[in-house]
Amino acid sequence: MVSATGVRALIDERGAEFEGYTFGFLDDMAKREIRRTILKAVAIPGHQVPFGSREMPIARGWGTGGLQITLACVGADDTIKVIDQGDDASVNAVNLRRLIAKTTGARETLTTGEATLIQSRHRIPEERMTAAQILILQVPIPEPLRHVERSVASARAMHAEADYARMWLALYEDVVRNGEVTAGAGYPVMVNGRFVMAPSPIPRWDIPKLNQADTLFLFGAGREKRIYAVPPFTNVQPLEFDDYPFEIEAFPNMSCRRCGATDSYLVTSPQADGGTLSVCSDTSYCDDVLAGRKVENQW
Amino acid sequence: MVEPLLRVRDLTKIYSGKGHHIVACEDVSFDVYPGEVLGIVGESGSGKSTVLQCLFQDVVPTSGAAYLTSFHEGERNMFEADRRERRELRTHRMSMVYQNPRQGLNLMVTAGGNVAERLLAADWRRVSDIRAKASDYLVRTEVPIERMDDFPAFFSGGMQQRVQIAKALANSPELVLLDELTTGLDVSVQAGVLDLVRDIQSRYGVTAIIVSHDLGVIRLLADRTLVMKDGHVVESGLTDQILEDPQHPYTQLLVNCVTN
Repeated sequence: MVSATGVRALIDERGAEFEGYTFGFLDDMAKREIRRTILKAVAIPGHQVPFGSREMPIARGWGTGGLQITLACVGADDTIKVIDQGDDASVNAVNLRRLIAKTTGARETLTTGEATLIQSRHRIPEERMTAAQILILQVPIPEPLRHVERSVASARAMHAEADYARMWLALYEDVVRNGEVTAGAGYPVMVNGRFVMAPSPIPRWDIPKLNQADTLFLFGAGREKRIYAVPPFTNVQPLEFDDYPFEIEAFPNMSCRRCGATDSYLVTSPQADGGTLSVCSDTSYCDDVLAGRKVENQW
Repeated sequence: MVEPLLRVRDLTKIYSGKGHHIVACEDVSFDVYPGEVLGIVGESGSGKSTVLQCLFQDVVPTSGAAYLTSFHEGERNMFEADRRERRELRTHRMSMVYQNPRQGLNLMVTAGGNVAERLLAADWRRVSDIRAKASDYLVRTEVPIERMDDFPAFFSGGMQQRVQIAKALANSPELVLLDELTTGLDVSVQAGVLDLVRDIQSRYGVTAIIVSHDLGVIRLLADRTLVMKDGHVVESGLTDQILEDPQHPYTQLLVNCVTN
């Protein structure tokens, strides 16, 4: 055992060796724990692994889970991108990106294709991600059974026994009452035929991208202290009835006002003149289309 | 010789408190044959409901064994099932109708949804099939079909009980456990529910264990009857035999009470 003052003395004496001890804001033990949690999450796709979520310089609920994963994975030679609902320019995205870059020296980018690590809130990029990239999603509520089972202990037992009748019942009730499954963002998915998973509140549009992707998806819920993962080439299927199949959002006769794209997820906002304005949710994709760059968007 | 569907051996449940033990039931053994209705009768506190709760695995018995023919070829003690097997037993092989419908039904889910839950647990994945099957069960139990998508919280007690019976029949369990199913209902509704159960039983040949303190219910429904007192089975046999020619003093008392 080395005492605290002993550690201080060691650092003073052999400072060069200890450089980078707090690389990426988190201390080494925190990073080690988070990396071990990630390994476990990857080993059991879709299973929520608890971890000791640290205090971060942003408030819980503002992406602390995603940020901790990012900081545990990032290296000095990484290029990072932070997405906030498709947009890189929101205050939150800018500040997260700046924090990561400042504490690691990693390069910043706004372009999906250039990034090695992408931290995202509620969107998966339109551009097809590669095996060399990792997508880290911020998760507000990691427990897909939260609204059908109030007890956390019971929900965990249901996962352990693969007992998802209550989840299916909620979907059935939805169909009976509304004629369709109304879940818009965060549509529940079955991962690797075993665990029902909350894919974070990504739109339905992004759900099929999780299936058999080249990319590793990591999910971090800082407030709820859970990490889970979808490794590359994993089966991810939305829960659907045979006669009420899952459908992604449709944008009939609509295109992006800025770039003209018809093959991306559009966000629509009402305008002062009574009309509506639809633009690409993914600003990186919008820029690429506008600049005439051809990017692969088939996942 | 027909094999029994369920064999229960030396079932004992002791509730332990601080410095005292309450024997709820002790060394209860019986067989249930396919297509038969077994009645368990006894006064309040005689342990009859405990037997049912142990069989449905709501309560963990202190000792004893139960063998269901379809569970590991009847060679494995049901009480030693792991959690997953226990869930399978509860959702596919057995079902329970509780005295209080609130215990057996989810009142926040529609009547149809309550029945559908057992079908969904059995991997039914086509809404139209699920609805057809659920409405079939609700029709059988005389729940008006137009109330299928209403919440049982707004149903009368008798109708809640009928929804519960429909739910218990869904997915055709091998064994249905009925715990005091008419106790909370007024006399005219009681008669209706009893008629319904008898009708379903004779038409579909359901195997059931029915627990009641009411000899009238037992007389109407049970082929064979166990009489329990203070946690022990004091007499068992054909229902008619027990009611017409009771041997044990307690049974004699019980039968006398009713006939007088």
